[in-house]
Amino acid sequence: MSSRWYPIYQKGNPQLRIFLPNFWMKLVKSKDPLPPNVVEFHVPLAMTNHDIKNYLENIYKVKVANVESTLENGKLKRAFGKIGGFVTKEEDYRRAIVTLPKTESFTFPDLLPKEKTESDEKERKKMQKQQADNFKKYEKRANQIPGVPSWFRY
Amino acid sequence: MHKLQSVTRMPLSCSMFLCQRHIQMLRKFPIQKVAAIHTTNRCLDLNEFFDEHKNWGASEVKVGRAWKKEELRLKSSSDLHKLWYVLLKEQNMLLTMEHDCKENHVYFPNPERLDKVQDSMENLEDVIRERNIAYFELETTHTGERPAELIDNAFGLKEVYTKTEYDIPKEVNKVWQEKNPPVNNKSRAVQKFLVLLREKLANRRYAQLAKDKQQVARIFANFKDVDAEAVQEKFPNVDVEEVRLSDKARGNWAP
Amino acid sequence: MRFTSVLYRRVRKYVAADQVGELTKTYSNLPDRYINRVMRQVYHVYPKGPQYTKVDQGKDDHFVFGPERPWEYEFLKRNNPADYSRKFKPPPLIEPIKNWNIFKGDRVEILVGKDKGKQGIVLQIFQEINSVIVEGLNTYLRDMNQGEGNKFVIKQEAPLLVNREVALVDPSDLLGCEVEWRYTEEGDKVRVSKRTGRIIPIPKAAYETIDFKTPTSYKENPNKDTKEADVMEVTFKPSLSTFEMDIMKEQNIEENRIPVKSFWY
Repeated sequence: MSSRWYPIYQKGNPQLRIFLPNFWMKLVKSKDPLPPNVVEFHVPLAMTNHDIKNYLENIYKVKVANVESTLENGKLKRAFGKIGGFVTKEEDYRRAIVTLPKTESFTFPDLLPKEKTESDEKERKKMQKQQADNFKKYEKRANQIPGVPSWFRY
Repeated sequence: MHKLQSVTRMPLSCSMFLCQRHIQMLRKFPIQKVAAIHTTNRCLDLNEFFDEHKNWGASEVKVGRAWKKEELRLKSSSDLHKLWYVLLKEQNMLLTMEHDCKENHVYFPNPERLDKVQDSMENLEDVIRERNIAYFELETTHTGERPAELIDNAFGLKEVYTKTEYDIPKEVNKVWQEKNPPVNNKSRAVQKFLVLLREKLANRRYAQLAKDKQQVARIFANFKDVDAEAVQEKFPNVDVEEVRLSDKARGNWAP
Repeated sequence: MRFTSVLYRRVRKYVAADQVGELTKTYSNLPDRYINRVMRQVYHVYPKGPQYTKVDQGKDDHFVFGPERPWEYEFLKRNNPADYSRKFKPPPLIEPIKNWNIFKGDRVEILVGKDKGKQGIVLQIFQEINSVIVEGLNTYLRDMNQGEGNKFVIKQEAPLLVNREVALVDPSDLLGCEVEWRYTEEGDKVRVSKRTGRIIPIPKAAYETIDFKTPTSYKENPNKDTKEADVMEVTFKPSLSTFEMDIMKEQNIEENRIPVKSFWY
């Protein structure tokens, strides 16, 4: 039997088991302030609160005290962002608020460290300045030898 | 029904331009995977949803290719079971990181990692299905897959009908009988419809052929001494020799 | 006949990656799934589920290729899905080629343009538009104006047609030549110069990819990649059981109940 077709349940049948769950789960930074022991997830619509609890406890070995979830609409957006394109809708999802035991706490880390972004910005500005200097040099030489084809200026 | 057609493209076997020895050299491509089978259980709790610390804000994360079916066939069931969870966690991690990048309006490094993981998961499921089909065919003489049948539907067209499981037989199931009344697809109306449909499809085919012929003529008119064999390979339905000698295929040069 | 169009609407198979040249794909080391995902021109997205119509939700053919990779931003700009006027422009003609003769790292002679007669090394290949870029030759000055105080100009190489504007250089006399594919006695397919009959070997740079120069020099990512020995290890032992039975045996789950008969129709 294919692993994605679940047989109907009749009385006396063996227990239905899932060995290869294909549910995905995203840990997201909540836009609202939450207590330290509460975490927000985005999960597929088909997942129930019971599924979420089992998923976290068995696969990630995280103790879960309570799960609450709501259905959310996917965002409406342009298919190609800045370029435009047609208005499309992203897939709907389920927003799950998971409460950990009181003793535990979780803070969403800063996944874009400031040091890295700053150094990248510095490098970019340095490159820009170098390019501008090169162009100025090129213009200066061009003014010194007017009438000569551009090929000889390099 | 067998669903084993989805064969993944071998990235290097298709280099048709190169000689045999070079293909052999290419086959020595290092075997890199998206995720490893971890023998020890790393317990990092919710931090497993995030990438390694050094990859935060990185502009590039280099990884290997996806697992191939040939490699997954070497592994035992328990290994495949473990690998599935490794891949699942990797997928969750990538989705989390991608979401965070989108929120912060920055580029997500190497987005093809997600596709590599999904390819691996597809291949893994296919390999397991192969094994289960082999077992069922040996023990029960049928595949054990969801049964399907090729039928003529109400419009007289061929259709693959996938069957559904019920606890009572068809003859007793009144609800199913009401929803699926017997259809007569031999009636006059259906025959007429099929004739019209065939005509429409044929017209569409002729229009496509005419379009292709026009394209071939344009190619001959625009490029002098073009390789006719290559053109025939690209347009197999068109009689290239006939089009080449036609008036439309003449270019602006002396023949 | 609107009725038939409803009947014959179906989800088309992805074909975007088939239109991309093999050399482009092997150089990039990207999976087909990613290329399809990036190139796909979405025009509407329906939610998943049996209650929604299964119509074609995007377009993945009739692309116009240019001197850029199909997953780059420039390609998206060229095939702008929001540009309605693009629909009425005829696609550019591309000459079908049977054998591809020139690879990355080859020395070629330029046959046209201001650099006619000069020789250079092939830097990039754009197989979709039958063209190559030769290092430092056939250039034009490109204005890279990025706003106030950030003016500069770069020298950009223009692509050259591989079968008409460029000729491979014969290593014996360093002159341009025509090429033919032949077989050696060992069975290898090689390029041979038509004039002198000398074999022109394929350069090592032809096998470079974006991730590594040679396959052996690839550095494994220690935390992400599986080691080769682990992959090649054979742990499969044939036994008369399904995957589910194997896992249940491993986890000591006992199940003796026999499923009740069910009916398929």
